[in-house]
Amino acid sequence: MKRLRRRPGASRPVVTAVTLLTAGALVFGASACGGRATTHHKPGTSHEQAHGNTGRLLAADDGSGNRLREVEAEGAPAVTVAVRRDSEDGWNVHLSVRNFRFTPDSVGGGALLGRGHARLFLDGRPLARVYGSWYHLPDALVRGAGGGTGLTAGLYADDHTAWAVNGAPVRAAASLAASSGKPAPGTTRSEEPRPDTVLEITLSRGKVSPAPGRTEIKKGGTVQLRVRSDRDDELHVHGYDKKAQLLAGRTVTLTFTADRNGLFEVETHGAGLLLTQLVVR
Amino acid sequence: MTALAHGIGAQHDLPLSPFYAFAGAFTALFVSFLALGLLWSASRFRGDRAGRPVPAAVQRLADARPTRTALRALGLAAGLSVVLHLLLGPDDPERNPAPGAVYVLLWVGLVPASLLLGPVWRLVNPLRTVHLAACRLLHRDPEGGRPLPARLGLWPGAAGILAFTWLELVAPDPASATALLLFLALHTAVQLAGAARHGAGWFDHADAFEVYSGLLARLSPLGRRPADGRLVLRSPFNGLDATPQLPGLVATVCVMLGSTAYDGFSDSPSWITTVQTSPLGRTATATLGLLAAVALVTTLYALCSGAVRLISGRIRHPLPSFAHSLVPIALGYLVAHYFTLFVTEGPRTVMMAFGADDPAPPDPLLGPGGVATLQVLAIVLGHVLGVVAAHDRSVRLFPPGRAVAGQLPLLILMITYTVGGLSLLIV
Repeated sequence: MKRLRRRPGASRPVVTAVTLLTAGALVFGASACGGRATTHHKPGTSHEQAHGNTGRLLAADDGSGNRLREVEAEGAPAVTVAVRRDSEDGWNVHLSVRNFRFTPDSVGGGALLGRGHARLFLDGRPLARVYGSWYHLPDALVRGAGGGTGLTAGLYADDHTAWAVNGAPVRAAASLAASSGKPAPGTTRSEEPRPDTVLEITLSRGKVSPAPGRTEIKKGGTVQLRVRSDRDDELHVHGYDKKAQLLAGRTVTLTFTADRNGLFEVETHGAGLLLTQLVVR
Repeated sequence: MTALAHGIGAQHDLPLSPFYAFAGAFTALFVSFLALGLLWSASRFRGDRAGRPVPAAVQRLADARPTRTALRALGLAAGLSVVLHLLLGPDDPERNPAPGAVYVLLWVGLVPASLLLGPVWRLVNPLRTVHLAACRLLHRDPEGGRPLPARLGLWPGAAGILAFTWLELVAPDPASATALLLFLALHTAVQLAGAARHGAGWFDHADAFEVYSGLLARLSPLGRRPADGRLVLRSPFNGLDATPQLPGLVATVCVMLGSTAYDGFSDSPSWITTVQTSPLGRTATATLGLLAAVALVTTLYALCSGAVRLISGRIRHPLPSFAHSLVPIALGYLVAHYFTLFVTEGPRTVMMAFGADDPAPPDPLLGPGGVATLQVLAIVLGHVLGVVAAHDRSVRLFPPGRAVAGQLPLLILMITYTVGGLSLLIV
């Protein structure tokens, strides 16, 4: 329909025919809405899923009926998930996404690279749709879904196709191990399994250990920062503009790809401490 | 620019690889001694008298009243806009163009602007315009007032530059609206009070931005010949040679060199650790660091001029006689340290001023190799210009037999500054 609006010169019979066709498509679409969740569309949007030109639509689905949309590994959306027991009820789920934006406004629309929403699965069963990086998962929902500990997060496009790289959906898993209050280590499937550089930094009483230095990083490598602070703060990688909330006494992990040349500072914003400098070349 | 890391300039240049630094240092040494042996033995530079007049039409256009008024209006509008942005805009340098306008467009931008066009800030300085308007209103002569004491010279300007660089490099939150408004309010109050007392000539000596721009403009190919008031195209050496030897000139140049050196030095992890862990507190430690850098540069210069006096007993005051030859070296430092900042944050600030919300900085113009080459070239070229300027001055001042020996200490000083500047780019 968008395409038609750009053609003001179309003659009247053509417009009528197109209107009829579109109405037909709408009726067809509406009738399909009773079926699978994949066909819920805003009024006026047709089955974009099959026509979206972002990536390549695969025949395979994600296990719950949503087809996979394959994109190049470079610049593909990526996610890591961390869970933490909430002090009152259930779990706090934190999704760190890369090359991805949550676009709840346009859900149901066409697939655009790097946009959409996330879905949570518990032991493979659909649990919830997530429109932002934080999600509170109540105990009741976990029980209602039949219980389990294997929490998986996947990234989906606005048209409900699952973003995929190399034939596998972009997903990350974490464990809801009831016994520990620690955040479960997020594991990623679609990303490189091991970061090229791991930096462990501890902050205690305003002291940084090891003392701030410089780390040489090869351009394009993955950097993982594991920072443990004795107070709540915000971790910030300048230049790449990566941020993470530091929680007192917990190790927080921030992973990113160093894809730009330069000297970048890793800082905390609250205490204003320099943790280290990354020399990327 | 560590202190600005919260606001302006999220990315720094990569540290220089030692290869570039060695190549630069070697070139500097080589050129220095080549200059000793090969350069002319009678002074060639004619300072203010030199130059080829620009076409009369160009001069008429440049000197025309509407041009001057337009420039003043432009400066006033830009100044007002910065203040309004600071007062009403978000206190976030990612979204407010004012901090970038002051630190990048004005402070760093003055370098290329003055190099190309001469002392531009005195044409647009909004405080001059305010002073002029007030004088018109009160029917006073803007040039009138008590004459400035001669021994004051450029000292107030040097102090102003030190204060501004302190704000930029040391102050706890330099890009915050509070810090900037406080500085601008203080600066305005001091400048207007001074101008009310001493007339518009005060700005030439005391406005940090005018002094800074005026000194760099010595290297501009565009100059004004005092004898006939003609705008001339001239060799930068002649402009440099005509630098008035005012009291405070040495201090101004040393503040420029020292503060830029501190800027490079303050990026090194070891200094950051010192600042972060110092029992004195961060601001106090960083202040001491900045003062120490300026003091070190000044001490080296004083030692050198002492040596010059020993060698050639004739010159009574060698201290200011050679200060002009340090201006190109300071310029080299400035280019090496601020080029990337200017080409990435400058356009970003302009985009913000035109309403973009947190725009991404444009891709860097040069790759890492290009930036490194430019940095070394800037420092070495500054060194070469300095050596040539000092050589000409020494063959003019010294008796022929002592000219070569007399400039040796200066040569050593310049090599020290240049190697120091290069090593600051490695750390």
